[in-house]
Amino acid sequence: MTCEELIAHLSSYIDHEMDAALVAEVQEHIAHCRNCRVVLDTTQRLIVLVHDEGRRIIPASQRSALFERLQQAFLNRPQTQSQSDQHSSEDSAV
Amino acid sequence: MPGPTIDLTIYENEETLLAGLRRRDPDACACLIKRFAPLVYAQALRLLGDADEAEGVLQQTFIKACEKLDTYEGRSGLGSWLYRIATNEALMHLRQHSPRIDLDDVAETIQADEMPQRLKPWTLDPAAAALNSELRAMLEQALAALPETLRVVFVLRDIQGLSTEETAAALGLGESAVKVRLHRARLRLRELLAAYMQEH
Ligand SMILES: [Zn+2]
Repeated sequence: MTCEELIAHLSSYIDHEMDAALVAEVQEHIAHCRNCRVVLDTTQRLIVLVHDEGRRIIPASQRSALFERLQQAFLNRPQTQSQSDQHSSEDSAV
Repeated sequence: MPGPTIDLTIYENEETLLAGLRRRDPDACACLIKRFAPLVYAQALRLLGDADEAEGVLQQTFIKACEKLDTYEGRSGLGSWLYRIATNEALMHLRQHSPRIDLDDVAETIQADEMPQRLKPWTLDPAAAALNSELRAMLEQALAALPETLRVVFVLRDIQGLSTEETAAALGLGESAVKVRLHRARLRLRELLAAYMQEH
């Protein structure tokens, strides 16, 4: 396995989507190739690093003008209560 | 007019908040925004990579949520419900506003210039270090620098934690396209963050 091949398959390896035979080749390659070992390690660190970002919030104090505008837009929105049943289909996609 | 000084503690409980929202109590609306807008905005900004567009999606999300309050069944919690609406709104916004797609950004293989260049180990151990604000800003900046086709897949898969299948369904892509784009996004982000990570 060359470095190029290893890099091309790196995410399959990280995500455990790789055949056992290829996994063995990857492991043999990184045992001897420092560069690929670094790329593998740092990519895994990146994934760990961002993993909890999904629950990140931006402190309201940092964006207070933004939230103020939102509140105004929200309070001044058109009153569409009678139409509320027509909008029920799209919260299923994600 | 509800100002920033209203007593939000009366809505600490989600059921009380929901009842207030259904009564169209302005304080309940203020409370909903205070509690969930930061979460919704962060997700919109990550997906869209643009502060103005994210603000539009933020407003759209809360207005839509209020329209749909009658259909909210309370199973997932208000936070996840809003988060899902925001994600759908942002994806819809992307579909409507991005006719330009660079062919390089949807290539099914990694490009020669995407091969890793920065080959020093990172000193920072993310498992041990909480994300500080400087690092978060770096990450936000790096994400915004990714082409949209790659960024959206990365946000849904590696940040939000959706499966390949769920991501493919949300974006109307095949699973192999999701995998390739995720891989290319990781390589590019790794490169973008490497200079900082090697030194901190
Ligand atoms: Zn190698």
